Amino acid sequence: MRGRDHDTLTLRRRTHLAAIAALVAVALTAGCQVDSLADIPADPRGTLDRVEGGFLRVGVSPNPPWTDLPEGLGDPLRPSGREVELVEDFAESLDAEVVWAAGSEEELLGDLETGALDVVVGGLTARSPWASHAALTRPYASVPGEKGEEELHVMATPMGENAFLVALERFLLAQDVGG
Amino acid sequence: MSDVGQQGGRQDGRREPTRFGHTELPREQEEALRRAVRLAWVTIGFLVTAVVAVYVTMGSSQAMKAAWAEDLLSFIPPISFLVALHLTRKPPSPRHPYGHHRSIGVGHLVAGTSLVIMGTFLVWDSGSGLLKAEHPPIGVMEVGGHVVWSGWLMIAALAYTAVPPVLLGRAKMPLAEKLHDRVLYADADMNKADWMTAVGGIVGIVGVGVGWWWADAAAALFISGSILRDGVGNVRTAVTALMDARATTVDGKEVHPLVGRVDALLRGLPWVAEAGSRVRDEGHVFHVEGFVVPIGAPPSLEELAQARDALVALDWKVQDAVVVPCAELPDELLPGVGDEREDAPARGHDAG
Repeated sequence: MRGRDHDTLTLRRRTHLAAIAALVAVALTAGCQVDSLADIPADPRGTLDRVEGGFLRVGVSPNPPWTDLPEGLGDPLRPSGREVELVEDFAESLDAEVVWAAGSEEELLGDLETGALDVVVGGLTARSPWASHAALTRPYASVPGEKGEEELHVMATPMGENAFLVALERFLLAQDVGG
Repeated sequence: MSDVGQQGGRQDGRREPTRFGHTELPREQEEALRRAVRLAWVTIGFLVTAVVAVYVTMGSSQAMKAAWAEDLLSFIPPISFLVALHLTRKPPSPRHPYGHHRSIGVGHLVAGTSLVIMGTFLVWDSGSGLLKAEHPPIGVMEVGGHVVWSGWLMIAALAYTAVPPVLLGRAKMPLAEKLHDRVLYADADMNKADWMTAVGGIVGIVGVGVGWWWADAAAALFISGSILRDGVGNVRTAVTALMDARATTVDGKEVHPLVGRVDALLRGLPWVAEAGSRVRDEGHVFHVEGFVVPIGAPPSLEELAQARDALVALDWKVQDAVVVPCAELPDELLPGVGDEREDAPARGHDAG
């Protein structure tokens, strides 16, 4: 009986040691992934790197005054509205060119999930049911809605592209959009 | 905290002993109990701050969700310790002739069951997140006008929850042994391992930070696995105790040394030829049924009373004891008795 207890104890201690070793290994590997703390968070799919100096692919669904589409769409598509302006300024800050795509929210969010789009705008609010399919930004504007309740406006980005999400959020929070 | 003063210090002017039911606590145990109650309240106070800190920084991290659930569950052991303590003080009554000591076992079982349920749910939740390759989004938060990546705040919150439980667990462990309190033991044991959840969570968030989407769910799986394991261990010990298994040490690993001492004491009586006993753990205290075969003539009532007094004098845990004289040891009441108690090789049936 004593012997067995002794074994359990050593086993437990060994499990502890193994756990610690594994954690240290993971932490070290993680440390080698980045050059500096400024690289945290990083994008698993490298969205921000790709957009910088390249193209920002934005899905837009009409929801005036936030987003509006011209009659007959036109080619290239030139939407208008407050969120459209914000996105264009954001792209400029990244030295990127915006490529617009129009569609319904469902289509656009689907494209966002597959990685065909980088941002979706369309007067989305923090109460959007899409929250489990897209990473919504922090609210950047709060306006009174139709029934007097606060509407917190957000944009949608791909799930888990955290460097890109943080870049967009920082940009939006720095703008004085107000309500 | 008012409870401490009430329970510990109330009788300070004219000291009346603290009791578990009818069992008077020796001074050492009384002191340990007072400290244990204080530590339970400190734990609850700390957990309130930990739950708030983890909740406000949680965001959509699966690992934070699991860590938060664990902090919430950690309320159960100290609370059931305090509740059980309150009940166990009640003296036996006609309705409860054995006293209320079993409340410890009930509290233990409740705590264990909730850990199992929550652990299972979280293992499923984070496991499916991992299989579906869900990428956790972690954005920014505004703290005092500064925009900070929420991951840093999560790491800070987890780091805050890492150290105090370990200290609390270390402080509680010797008290649990002194008081023979299984709920307190389970609580201390969980507290002591708590830093691993915090560190696991931190590694998960750092992993997400460097771009490993799976790190968060993997950390969550690790945390929920530890919750589930705690739960299974606790349910097993609690059920064993409630099933009236032979009394064991508070960690449930060894036969309690008192079991052997009870037998030895009875066998050592000058008028006793043979003796055996059943000892069960009621929670804190033991119930002892001793069977003795007298040499020649039946023992006098006085001799029997002395035998009982000697048993009670063995240890504060032995209070509820009976000594039954019989012509021969009743096999049906003492299954396999004698074989395994004195370190003889255990017979198969309950060697585990």
